[in-house]
Amino acid sequence: MAELFVQQLVNWVTLGCIYALLAIGFSLIFGVLNVIHFSHGDVAMTSPFIALAAAQALAIAIGVSGPVWLTVATCIAVFAVGLIGVILDKVVIRRFRDAPAMMALVATVALGIVIRELIRHLYPQGSNPHAFPRLASGVALEIAGVQVGWFTLLVVSLTLVLVVLLFAFLRLTPLGLRIRAASEDRIVARMMGIRDTRVFRATFFVASAIGAIAGLLFASYAGVTRFDFGVMAGLLGFSAAVIGGLGSMPGAILGGLIIAGIEVLAQTFVPDGASYRLVFVFLLVIGVLLFRPEGLLGRPVMVKV
Amino acid sequence: MSTHTSAELPGLGQAAFVAVSIQLLSAAFLYLILKAEGGWQVIGLLALLGAGFYLIEKRPQIADVVTASFSRVPVVALITAVAVVLLFPFAVGNNTYVLHLLIVAQLYAVLALALNFQLGSANIPNFATGASYGIGAYVSALLAINFGLSFWLTLPAAAIAATLFGFLIGIPSMRTRDTYLALVTIAFGVVVQQLLNNFTWTGGPNGLVGIPAPSLFGHSFASPLVVFGWKLPSQANFYYLSALLVVVAIITAHRLHSSRIGLAWNALRADEIAARAQGINVAWFKVLAFAVDAFLAAFAGTIYAFYVSYISPDNFTFLVSVTIMTMVIVGGMDNIFGVIVGAFLLTILPEKLRAFSDYRLLFFGIVIIAFLMIRPQGLFPQRIRSYGESR
Repeated sequence: MAELFVQQLVNWVTLGCIYALLAIGFSLIFGVLNVIHFSHGDVAMTSPFIALAAAQALAIAIGVSGPVWLTVATCIAVFAVGLIGVILDKVVIRRFRDAPAMMALVATVALGIVIRELIRHLYPQGSNPHAFPRLASGVALEIAGVQVGWFTLLVVSLTLVLVVLLFAFLRLTPLGLRIRAASEDRIVARMMGIRDTRVFRATFFVASAIGAIAGLLFASYAGVTRFDFGVMAGLLGFSAAVIGGLGSMPGAILGGLIIAGIEVLAQTFVPDGASYRLVFVFLLVIGVLLFRPEGLLGRPVMVKV
Repeated sequence: MSTHTSAELPGLGQAAFVAVSIQLLSAAFLYLILKAEGGWQVIGLLALLGAGFYLIEKRPQIADVVTASFSRVPVVALITAVAVVLLFPFAVGNNTYVLHLLIVAQLYAVLALALNFQLGSANIPNFATGASYGIGAYVSALLAINFGLSFWLTLPAAAIAATLFGFLIGIPSMRTRDTYLALVTIAFGVVVQQLLNNFTWTGGPNGLVGIPAPSLFGHSFASPLVVFGWKLPSQANFYYLSALLVVVAIITAHRLHSSRIGLAWNALRADEIAARAQGINVAWFKVLAFAVDAFLAAFAGTIYAFYVSYISPDNFTFLVSVTIMTMVIVGGMDNIFGVIVGAFLLTILPEKLRAFSDYRLLFFGIVIIAFLMIRPQGLFPQRIRSYGESR
């Protein structure tokens, strides 16, 4: 029993960190632009494909391969996805900033379709699942007879580092200050001489790059990647961000852990729980929003006349 | 607006001519685009459509003349419309594919009208219309398969079941709003779809097979329809049935729009706090919008189930709800006619993009995004409410 418990605890932490990283992107973009970027999941899930392509390109061009070069390829992917985010913002999402919320939602859902189809057509045999290597392998330590892999440690430490870096970035750097100012009140921020185009560019780069890391970890965790993984990644990440409270970073992390927790619990304790896991996840979402309509850590919005 | 139109009120004959010819032209256009094969024909017709809208945009008086003509001779316009709808299958003849497209388009028109009560009238997001549609389809199909109930009895049963579901989704809507409400409806939609996909008694991912065809006065809907010696394919039965449903939906929508309920929904959309201050029971009208949406969607679901005689959870996914939402936005929120046009366009367009085979979803996505950027108010923007006799 203890073994099972620890094993599921490990699974929960791994999955929870990945979801939290996805949710951070949603929350960050919503906080600054007030727009739901529904295709964020799809943007994030392009990163495994870009990494695979980059690894192959490196192998062909310079004739190198191996773990070190795989790391280089993933770094290229993270940077590239960050740029994709910036481009999407410039071309599409920025135009829906002041539109009704539903407009932006529908537009970004359509954008998600476009991204998925582009992966499918541009990547060789994009319709098929592609194996994705573990970014770290081997057993790191043993707790109560359960082997904890390096991969889990990688996910946890990477998430911690990213969260600390993000907090430092938002709190300590001038750009972070501008991002926070713009998310507080865009118009006043403009009056204070903050160029919001730059703020948006930075926000999208950071959010998409963090999403890309989540996408890489997810593909690595699943061992496989497919062009339509982005739909579920997007839905779960969005749910995590919303139940945590949109615009709140600690909320996004909490939401990610909760969503992963209910998923792991359903799979472990409910008979046939693996196929019902989404039912449990979304029932929980409904339940949370029923009692905390603004999310767990969200600020209640006071509507004034 | 009223003084403007009365100043240049068209004569009776002219009005009748405009009303009839506009309807015939639209029908001819629909016929052409349904028959069109090959990429260039489709692109050409779409360009024609775009040019038409550009013209209306540049010369708004054209639209004024058309609306004035229609309201001048309502009876003539109505008779033409009925004749066009009734005779269309005869023009199509034995092309069952075109009839199939028309049936699906009409069912989507009903779904879009259903969603329009919420998204258009009251500005409440709802991503669970696909789920209500699915509940309607599954309830009626299960009743027909397991208990041998006839189509006409399953119709109200499915509607009641879906309406209860609508009330259920409506409850969280009293507290949440905007994005949070959107997520609640998405969550409901996913839960329903996943349950349908996992329960054994719903057939799981394989769905339900062998739903019996309905019959009326001894005429089975699976057999060809013979009218005055003309033999129409069996799809024509369902074409007329779904056309009838569209008419019911239009009348419902129109009546609700001009009732106090429609007014209350519009007040909610304009300003929720102001509406509350006016003594409008905001929570009740929100829940009511969900219930009406689910009610109409269940009708569409029932007809769909009996028409294709095979349903699976894949027919009722989140993307179906998004498609319905797109139809409302593209057509024009809170504009009954616009919503129907949106539904037809977005049903037929992806099918016609088959000319681009594998790239059609890509094109579809790009077209939607481009449309939302270029014309965010929809094809036919919301009309300003007119009160009293000036309609």
